[in-house]
Amino acid sequence: MSDAALIPARLTPTPVRTIAAKDIRDALRDRFILIVTAFLGLAALVALVTGAIALRSDVATYEAAKATLLALGKSADAIKAPEFYPLRLLRGAIEQIEIIGAAIAILIGYRSAASERGRQTLALMLTRPMRRWQFVAGKALAGIGLLAGGLALVLGGLTLVLHFMSGIGLGADDLLRIAVVWGVAVAYTACFFLVSFILSLHMKQPSHALLVAFAVWLTLVLIAPQIGDTLDPDNQVAGGVFKQLNIAKPDQVEIMKGFATFETVRGGIEQASVTKHFERFTFAVLGIKATYAGMPLGPILTEMRGNLIWIFLTALGLIAIALALPLNPDRLAKA
Amino acid sequence: MSEPLIRLDRLTQSFDGVTAVDALSMDIEKGEIFGFLGHNGAGKTTTIQMLTTLARPASGTATVAGYDINKDPLEVRRRIGYVPENVRLYDTLTAAENLVFFARLSGVDAPARRVRQVLELLDCTYLADKRVGGFSKGMRQRVGLAQAILHDPAVLFLDEPTSGLDPMGIKMLRDLVMRLNTEFGMTIFMNTHLISEIAKTCTSIAVLSHGKLVFHDRIDAVTARYGDDAALEELYLSLTPVGRLAEVA
Ligand SMILES: Nc1ncnc2c1ncn2[C@@H]1O[C@H](COP(=O)(O)OP(=O)(O)OP(=O)(O)O)[C@@H](O)[C@H]1O
Ligand SMILES: [Mg+2]
Repeated sequence: MSDAALIPARLTPTPVRTIAAKDIRDALRDRFILIVTAFLGLAALVALVTGAIALRSDVATYEAAKATLLALGKSADAIKAPEFYPLRLLRGAIEQIEIIGAAIAILIGYRSAASERGRQTLALMLTRPMRRWQFVAGKALAGIGLLAGGLALVLGGLTLVLHFMSGIGLGADDLLRIAVVWGVAVAYTACFFLVSFILSLHMKQPSHALLVAFAVWLTLVLIAPQIGDTLDPDNQVAGGVFKQLNIAKPDQVEIMKGFATFETVRGGIEQASVTKHFERFTFAVLGIKATYAGMPLGPILTEMRGNLIWIFLTALGLIAIALALPLNPDRLAKA
Repeated sequence: MSEPLIRLDRLTQSFDGVTAVDALSMDIEKGEIFGFLGHNGAGKTTTIQMLTTLARPASGTATVAGYDINKDPLEVRRRIGYVPENVRLYDTLTAAENLVFFARLSGVDAPARRVRQVLELLDCTYLADKRVGGFSKGMRQRVGLAQAILHDPAVLFLDEPTSGLDPMGIKMLRDLVMRLNTEFGMTIFMNTHLISEIAKTCTSIAVLSHGKLVFHDRIDAVTARYGDDAALEELYLSLTPVGRLAEVA
């Protein structure tokens, strides 16, 4: 029996793992990717710190008022303890992941494919004893791994800042919510990575693929949610149109019936954007959307499972496409 | 006589209905340095791509080191090394990192040790920790060659290994190929345009023209019949369309 036979299969380096490890090392040496990721982290941090400082002063004001009342021998019940939701401060970070995170994922996907083109490496790999799907699986694993690592760094850093700067410590439930958001953010950015990777691997010109990938990004991330938001009457007037106009609930329903088609179109556009699903889900989990603030995680997850399923199915569908498309070593021989 | 190490059996490839390699049949014995000549677009690279299992033949088949390229591609791959034309590898990785990567894919035990061994063999340990991105063509070609012999293959396929190399580089490559052949018993299948190289290194040659085999013989028989390099060149030119063009002129 050879040595190799004694090592459990789990530990022997498979082509998928070998390729993934190579790709991660390769990408980490790309300063451009590192700089853009640092930029995302920084932008999110600035948004967070500003919010945290404001929250901290609110907390301090409340504490001071309470202390004054108590010192005067009065009951502090007179001022109701305001509800502080530190996780809501992650709103800026979520929006940045939505936009910049997706763009970084596109760059990583492009890089992943471009690094194999015009250098005969695919020809070399495919003349080694491995299967073609293992090449794609290894590359996808590396890209998603990079996104998972980058997002863990960014969200981990933000969590620390939030914990120490907001004046309100984070509890286990908060950490769990952030972990859930991390997982969904990985799946969300993976969609963009995969779109860009597939296009860059299969289109004649990888640079054209990059353009198409960014056109998709523009549509899903910027345009579609805008259309949705602009068309939402609630978004046009602070506090909601109906509330401002003092229209009673039954009348509201009547009015909205007339807008049924309009609503369907708006809904359809929103449904098509994986970004919107990501935003709805994370805003609920983090309590950024007021209706969900203070609601336990379980019911939120149940209510939001549609968004969750949509994001993961999109990612899985794209993985399936990446694995199913036949590789053309000749095309890849050209840069 | 024993089984030939490489046997092509009506090997055919076509692209969009145009035949690039046309029912190629020939045998290459173990231990040979085989030179494959032909004009640009004759079908040499296409033939190597089929023999290395990179592309499936349109029809016909071949056996390499005892395995059928259509039925046992994985077994064929375990026994071959391939240096494509203009091999470049990963720019951001060092030569050693590139090589360890391919050693792992080839299933080599103790990849790092094997890589050092091969770099020593090719006399380029000084390249080990340098990033490939800054390499000259000659350096790249050496790392490409190192990559192909990590797993001690029975057959080495080289696609125009001398293209773009200076005379010094060509000589070093020639010496290496001959060493791999004599010391390690590797059979070499080499596409080339350089007639002078053929005469110096090869033990047998074949000429391909428009996908068809127009000549195949042992080099000693050729030199016995045609004499020196110049005669060899004349033979080659007479077999290719360029040759026919020259006759007209
Ligand atoms: N992927 C492909 N798609 C379409 N045609 C191809 C493809 N690959 C090769 N060909 C055609 O097949 C023929 C043989 O090409 P091949 O590259 O095998 O020639 P070659 O002998 O290696 O030439 P060179 O000396 O220029 O390298 C050419 O006419 C080429 O245009
Ligand atoms: Mg060629």
